[in-house]
Amino acid sequence: MADAAAIPSKADVKAQNKQRSLQFRAQHGLVVAFFLLILVFHVLSIYLFLSGFLLSRLVLQDRSECAVPPIDLSNYTPGSQERGCWHPKSFDKAVVILVDALRYDFTVPFQASAGDAEPHYFHNNLPVLYETAVKEPKNAFLRPFIADPPTTTLQRLKGLTTGTLPTLIDAGSNFAGTAIDEDNLIEQLYLAGKKVVHIGDDTWHSLFPGYFEPNLTRPYDSFNVWDLHTVDNGVNEHLFPLLEPSMAGRWDVAIGHYLGVDHAGHRYGPDHPAMAEKLRQMDEVFRRMIEKLDEDTLLVVMGDHGMDVKGDHGGESDMEVEAALWMYSKKGIFGRDGEGSLAPTATAKERPVAQIDLVPTLSLLLGMPIPFNNLGRPIAEAFHGSSKLLQPDYRNLAEVSRLTSAQIHRYQGEYAKVRKLDEDATSAPAKLWRAANEKWSTLSSSEKALKQAYEAFTLYQAENLSICKALWARFDLVSMSMGLIALVGTFAVIVMYAQGVNGDRAALTPPLLGWGLMGTAAGAVAGAALGALPIAAMPTLTAFGAATGGIVAVLLGFWPARPILTWPFPKTFWGWLCFMSTALLCVGFGANSWIIWEDEQLLFLLSTFAVLMLGASLGQADRQDQILGAVNALSFLVATRISSLSRLCREEQARNCRSSYYASATSSTSAAWQLAIPFAVALLLPTAVKYFFVRTKNYHGSAVIWIGIALRLGLIMVASFWALDSADDGDWLPQVSKDTLKTARVILAQIVLAVAFAAGYATYVWASPMLAVKTEEAPEKPQSTSKPINNEDPNAPILTTINEAPQPRSKLIIYGYANTHGTRYFLLPCAWILALILVQKPMGQGALALCFISILNLLEIIDANNLRRSPLGPIVLALLGMFHFFKTGHQAALVTIQWDVAFIPLKTLQYPWAPLMVVLNTYGPQILCAIAVPTITLWKVPPKHPGLLGRIAGQMATHVLFYAAIAVATVAEAAWLRRHLMLYRVFMPRMLVAVSVLVLVEFVGAVVAIVGVRWSVVSVGDVFGWPE
Amino acid sequence: MSSQQSTKSADPQKPLKHVDILQNQASLLFANLHPVLLLSVVPISFKSLVNDPVNTLLGLAPTVALVQAIYCIVCLPSTGQTPPPAHKPGQKKKSGKPVQDIWAKVVPALLSFLLTLFLTTPLLYITTILFGAPLISHHLHTILLALHLALLTTPQLFYVHGLDLSTWLRLVSLQQPVDEMYGMSLGALVGGWLGAIPIPLDWDREWQKWPVTIVCGVYAGAVVGKVLGGYVFKGARMKIN
Repeated sequence: MADAAAIPSKADVKAQNKQRSLQFRAQHGLVVAFFLLILVFHVLSIYLFLSGFLLSRLVLQDRSECAVPPIDLSNYTPGSQERGCWHPKSFDKAVVILVDALRYDFTVPFQASAGDAEPHYFHNNLPVLYETAVKEPKNAFLRPFIADPPTTTLQRLKGLTTGTLPTLIDAGSNFAGTAIDEDNLIEQLYLAGKKVVHIGDDTWHSLFPGYFEPNLTRPYDSFNVWDLHTVDNGVNEHLFPLLEPSMAGRWDVAIGHYLGVDHAGHRYGPDHPAMAEKLRQMDEVFRRMIEKLDEDTLLVVMGDHGMDVKGDHGGESDMEVEAALWMYSKKGIFGRDGEGSLAPTATAKERPVAQIDLVPTLSLLLGMPIPFNNLGRPIAEAFHGSSKLLQPDYRNLAEVSRLTSAQIHRYQGEYAKVRKLDEDATSAPAKLWRAANEKWSTLSSSEKALKQAYEAFTLYQAENLSICKALWARFDLVSMSMGLIALVGTFAVIVMYAQGVNGDRAALTPPLLGWGLMGTAAGAVAGAALGALPIAAMPTLTAFGAATGGIVAVLLGFWPARPILTWPFPKTFWGWLCFMSTALLCVGFGANSWIIWEDEQLLFLLSTFAVLMLGASLGQADRQDQILGAVNALSFLVATRISSLSRLCREEQARNCRSSYYASATSSTSAAWQLAIPFAVALLLPTAVKYFFVRTKNYHGSAVIWIGIALRLGLIMVASFWALDSADDGDWLPQVSKDTLKTARVILAQIVLAVAFAAGYATYVWASPMLAVKTEEAPEKPQSTSKPINNEDPNAPILTTINEAPQPRSKLIIYGYANTHGTRYFLLPCAWILALILVQKPMGQGALALCFISILNLLEIIDANNLRRSPLGPIVLALLGMFHFFKTGHQAALVTIQWDVAFIPLKTLQYPWAPLMVVLNTYGPQILCAIAVPTITLWKVPPKHPGLLGRIAGQMATHVLFYAAIAVATVAEAAWLRRHLMLYRVFMPRMLVAVSVLVLVEFVGAVVAIVGVRWSVVSVGDVFGWPE
Repeated sequence: MSSQQSTKSADPQKPLKHVDILQNQASLLFANLHPVLLLSVVPISFKSLVNDPVNTLLGLAPTVALVQAIYCIVCLPSTGQTPPPAHKPGQKKKSGKPVQDIWAKVVPALLSFLLTLFLTTPLLYITTILFGAPLISHHLHTILLALHLALLTTPQLFYVHGLDLSTWLRLVSLQQPVDEMYGMSLGALVGGWLGAIPIPLDWDREWQKWPVTIVCGVYAGAVVGKVLGGYVFKGARMKIN
């Protein structure tokens, strides 16, 4: 505008614009690159921390051998497959049935208790296991079967075949299991030439590739939790023929893995007719199996884990770990050690066995060597060895117990040797081992002495197990500290960049990026060089070197720019408020209660902000601003509170919390009334968004096409999707086959995604600013104004007269001038909201729609109070994102991950789409809020406003700062409280949410939001020319 | 608003001054007694507050209202009453018509309490709900909490400032200079805010139940706010934008 006096020639202006446009594009690219560099720092620090924090166990490669028993056997010659490797075998063949998520209380008769007077759908529908254990105690027994968390199927299968404890590092790999590389029962069977058949869940095949009989084995996709019957029917179809006498000799061990119970739990929750039906079906299956079973075959039925009240699992709550184990044979060799254990226990709290105990039990029963790494102990009922039901043969028991103990002892010796463990860690069990052996060697044949020896070995096994548990709960403090240091350093970089720069960030970014890249490279090389020495681990040191090198270099890069730096402390009322709320949350996460009740705190904080914004707006001098701000603040308050009604309580909240996210607290489907929500969203959300565009006269062109038509149609399709889904769940349309319903649903979802991403992005990229130009007859006298009126009042239609002085001509009125930038950019969140709403459950769709309206409210409030440069916007957006994370049916707990959304646009599990859908569902609100961040700067600024890019970068950095602060705090607290009772239930999940959301928001902020700014700013610049 | 703004600037600084309490002996005495009375409410009734919040809060309300009313009448200049010019040393006080004086104070006090009861209490009730108070249970608890909060926040402000819209807009936007009464109102609100913090802790204490901690916070906050507003931050103005 400086050249108002000397009007430049057209060509000059064109050249200048071209140059400025180029400059913007270059700076823009570098800003995106800088954010990606910060992302790299974060990824490195999180990798360092987690590799030290998530527990690790050294996997020994040793294998047990048939001919090499762990200890001298006095009265048995080992090494014969026919008689049994280390101990006489009891069975030639076994049918091992795994009923996924078979909780113990599903299998025992319901007993009324206080507050639970009536049996639920999951009670009394699978009586066969209990009946046989009571009626034929010599043929069958039923015991609670306790899983070691994490209670995911993959982890459980490892435990059930290797007999060792799971480590957390594997917990996340449920989606892509990898082969087991330590000694295990399946491998032992395979190497011994036994024919193992597997039918059912295909997780087994990723764990034991190539070990199963190819002709008879039938794997089924395991993650389609919406399908209750395909896998189960398939198992029945292929398993029962094996039991026919004609098939004898073609298999030795048959494994059937049923998934229906688990899927019924995930999809409907345990207390649902579908679960009752499923359990009855299982009951019938086992009765048929008993009928067909021959004398020499052992039948094992077990659950790999339980499920929580909602039917999900993964954690370590009682209900999730309490599975059932039932063994049956027609040989009548089982027994009990007394009256007390005759009938199965009423609850899983009494006389439980650990799941790892299955491994030595099954190995010895089938005459296999016990896998080398096993820590389990033999189950007493199975080695009864006597014909009297209540009087076990303690010699047999003591023998198997001694064998197992000896194998454990051998393993411990190897482990201590490899790990160079000190004596302390092994002295207590070593003493028990010696004591037990003494008892054995001085054995008289009296029943009492044998019993004592048996008990001494059992004691050794128990002590050893607890030592192992403690030992493997060991953290790598060096790696954790490295991660924490890098995380804090990155935090310092973001603080300086976001709040310490008092000038144009866009110009400061290129040197910072240059320094950072050089530092990262130099650090990585230095780290790798150090890592090449034998004393330390190469990847750890390289990562640490790269992160710290880069961080230090970026911080140094600030030095030349010190004239435009300030101390990054809050300076305004709002700055302090933002700082205090973030700090309060960070400190609060040091106490488990505040993590558990985070949703309520976020409501509290958001309401605080809203009330203060309401007050501040009322204090505005300008009447328009006053009303605009106040009305939007009220809308924000009400929207937030309505949204808060959508809750999914976590287990720890139970006493004071009622879930409303699903039909009931024990279900995971939506109630029928909740189906109204998607339709209401389809009806109201586009109208609401339209209102904000209309207010500034920006509802033209692409805005009409996208908001008025595409978004509305898309949302109607989303609503139809969920209607079809409920129709399928509730069998409302019995005449239409399930398959047709599913196909229709999947196609709808795919169309919505195509509309959102293909059409949405196309609209966004190629739209021109949403302006309407009208020509009016110019007044008689030509006007002499030569620059656009930059009216401070954003709400009145803005009138601009463009005229190149000489010729008299008509007047141009540009509608929508005041908010050109804001509305142009806001098409991007409008495209994303469609995809994000699709992957939410009906209740979550309402919450997300309210979140979207709250974002628009916030933009108006910020405009009314002129707070565009304040940290208020980005921080409230971050709070809003976190808040709606809870309101879309999530909690900082593994069980609340809504895995089933992977099947919204897909019929079968497909990578990478399935995990991507789960991410969009889980972190949808945070993604939406991160994409909205640039709008804070762009909303209602005039087209030729200078320095936008730098300010957008600053606001985005402030937004990231919130998540980075939470990540630093939760990581430090998880490290500090690593011996806390609630570590795995509360602190670790929150920390994992914090770090994953940080990385995701940074990625989305750079690659979606800031990259998106380019098209919007360029399109506005092309129309109005570029600012200096 | 532009016209209003011009009147504001034409009215130089007058409404932007903080308000002093009356400077007579009774006023000073009660102004000092007032925080002690308020502060003693919580420890005296704490046990019954924990055992039976509804009845205790209901029973306390008249007492608190009375204390607040006396504070208004004795210590504060009522609406429109020019702040006492009468404390120049040596000048004799005009003893006007005492009966009329009393009525000139009691009527605004009564109005202040009516407004507090029928305007502030519902508004604060809604606000409490918006902040996350139970929506479908504990209605009486929340209403009584709002009542107590209202009793401590607004009577003195209504009494001193009346219903002047521009003053109230300044009050809600934190732009009014801080004085004793405003400090007390803000203190009560901040105290209530802070009082909510210990509720989620898993200490399983009886006193963590709704709304005990908030009531305690409100009373403590009101007293602290009054003292700070009256002495430390007197005349200060927050810069919110």
